[in-house]
Amino acid sequence: MPEVKRKYVTPGELVGKGRYNRTSNVYQIEDKFYSTRVGMAEVINDSLRVIPLTGPYIPREDDLVVGKIIDHSAFAWEVDINSCFSSFLLAQSVFGRDYSPARDSLTKKFAIGDLVTAKILAFDRTRDPLLSVSGPGLGRINQGEIVSISPTKVPRVIGKKGAMIKTIENYSKCRLTVGQNGLVMISGNPEGIILAKSALDLINHEAHTADLTQKVQDLLSGSNNGEKE
Amino acid sequence: MSKLLNSKNRRLDGRKLDELRPIKMKVGVIDNANGSAYIEFGRNKVMAAVYGPKDVHPKHMMKTESAILKCRYHMTPFSTGRRKNPAPSRRETEISKIISEALEPAIVMTDYPRTAIHVYVEILQSDGGSRCAGVTAASLALADAGINMRDLTSGCAAGKIDGKVALDLDEVEDMEGDADLPMAILPNLEKVTLLQLDGDFSHKEFIEALKLAKKGCLKVYEMQRNALNDKYFGNEKA
Amino acid sequence: MASKKSLVVEYLKYEQMLKEISKGKRIDGRKLLETRSLSIEPGVIEKANGSAKVTLGNTEVIAGIKIQTGVPFDDTPDKGLLIVTSEILPIAASWAEPGPPNAEVIELARVVDRGVRESKMIELTDLCIVEGKKVLAVFVDISVLNVDGNLFDAASYAAVAALLTAKMPKYKIIKEGEIEDTGKQIPLVTKLIPVSTTMALINDAIVVDPTLDEETVMEARFTITTTTKNSICAGQKGFPGGFSLKQIELAVDTALKNGESIRKKIKKSVELAKKK
Repeated sequence: MPEVKRKYVTPGELVGKGRYNRTSNVYQIEDKFYSTRVGMAEVINDSLRVIPLTGPYIPREDDLVVGKIIDHSAFAWEVDINSCFSSFLLAQSVFGRDYSPARDSLTKKFAIGDLVTAKILAFDRTRDPLLSVSGPGLGRINQGEIVSISPTKVPRVIGKKGAMIKTIENYSKCRLTVGQNGLVMISGNPEGIILAKSALDLINHEAHTADLTQKVQDLLSGSNNGEKE
Repeated sequence: MSKLLNSKNRRLDGRKLDELRPIKMKVGVIDNANGSAYIEFGRNKVMAAVYGPKDVHPKHMMKTESAILKCRYHMTPFSTGRRKNPAPSRRETEISKIISEALEPAIVMTDYPRTAIHVYVEILQSDGGSRCAGVTAASLALADAGINMRDLTSGCAAGKIDGKVALDLDEVEDMEGDADLPMAILPNLEKVTLLQLDGDFSHKEFIEALKLAKKGCLKVYEMQRNALNDKYFGNEKA
Repeated sequence: MASKKSLVVEYLKYEQMLKEISKGKRIDGRKLLETRSLSIEPGVIEKANGSAKVTLGNTEVIAGIKIQTGVPFDDTPDKGLLIVTSEILPIAASWAEPGPPNAEVIELARVVDRGVRESKMIELTDLCIVEGKKVLAVFVDISVLNVDGNLFDAASYAAVAALLTAKMPKYKIIKEGEIEDTGKQIPLVTKLIPVSTTMALINDAIVVDPTLDEETVMEARFTITTTTKNSICAGQKGFPGGFSLKQIELAVDTALKNGESIRKKIKKSVELAKKK
């Protein structure tokens, strides 16, 4: 068993000293590593990282995101993906290379206010994220409710190999689509949606605590017992 | 003839020379903001909020390699003794600038290219030392927003009243006293990022005030950490 | 004002809103004519002559009162001044930007002003010190801290609660035309308590105390200020849509009824604050 050291840290706090091959959310001065975020510091073997408890969504290529169409020009839709960058979905990527603004109507495909699940096609330091909606499960969302959580909590909502999502889906009988940008789409019957929402709320507020899985299971099963079908 | 200190070196509000006013801090107070904090520094009541990183307007302000920091220090009309005109004054414009420059060295600006980070400091009530309270609250709001930072920024002033160096002057002491030295530091990096001075210090007094202000900043830093702990780690503080 | 694109209400939510409204309910679980939870905290700013913080749902505002001497207007030499201003602080929303107030914010201040002025809550002649020369000016400054719809009512309740707890400096005339501050503070005399009720028209239904999402999709807005269970002192219709006469009657009934219950809450919070 590797030795694991954990502690809560705030920006500027010393996390560890020495040589580490893998680090995240820290900065280095000589052989000392300081946290750049509020979060849980974790040192395991040669890895030293801070798991942040709050922070904005920074897009990465291939991320699945949930977005809202907020504007369009003749050639692209502007999509709010809960990030510091406005992202765009090109008309060409939806209508094909021979897209013509005179013939094809953007608003017929996606109108302002529509929700979509999309993939980040391209993004780097020099340009705004480009989205794609081609692929299984991508495109317009036709039903359900959207819940916003901190993007830093997304890994906990998904769980190890998707275990947490599966737990919530099983108990609530809803389908969940978790965008890496912190927007979660829930579809199912109204009671199920309420149950799934309360589970997400719990994770959002207590993601850093021990035995989170147990707490979520207690919440989900407890509510189920309360209102037997 | 001494006015601000009694014979036992106690101040008008009963404080010792090296004593801070009562301070309260709370992180996460504005629902709409990405990060926010409220601080009471004696009778100063300050709210700070952070929006961003977000897209830059106007576009020509954009930097391709880093974020830009836009900071506004503003006093509400009811925050002062006589009503303050709501339009920004030259004093507020200057303080906005120095607060921004006190915060920026702590932020990893290059992590957010082509974006703007907005920091708003609203003085709901002022009572001497509002810029130090403001920079302290703003730094908490940035940490609450989860923006990458090398350190927090912690502010506190020292000054001179009735010929003696004292910590954290209130409004009366600032007006009637001999000198004021507002300061903010990055406590872990040991850098001074805000420093102003007005009044009359001898060389020796200045060094003494500088050291006292630093001590005050470090106490403020501990309270900032506690405020973040309260919001994020609750009772499970490790 | 920066882009308000972030305010686009997703179509699915809008549909859900309409569905609930057709069943007589709203997506936050309220009935059509139900207000959100309201908390009123007078006395939050010690340096002001009066102040109050109001939280209405997620909307949060602070009103501060400053009472200072001023010069009366030529046409009303025996009346004091009432000046209401408002600002949506940039901390309050991602689209709020510092700068001179725009039309929306000016309307907000003017509607609050009208409610207070027309209710005769304050007798402006009480504020005269030396006719034609010196009067007291009552500044009501409203700062919005967090925006989630219905700023009109939140600002109005904050202004009224602040005025009800306000104290003003007492002046005496020492010589003809010359006055002196006695250093004493006396309560500002107030009479009736104006209470505003704001309603939104969404898909031909009237909903009370709209949230920001509801305001984003509403067709029209109506604010009515009442002073007793039977009298109205101010009104303001806003936004491009139109009301039927029947809807206006319903709105007035609602405003009178809601006014009574809010008035009780304001009185209670003021009494509590005065005891402290």
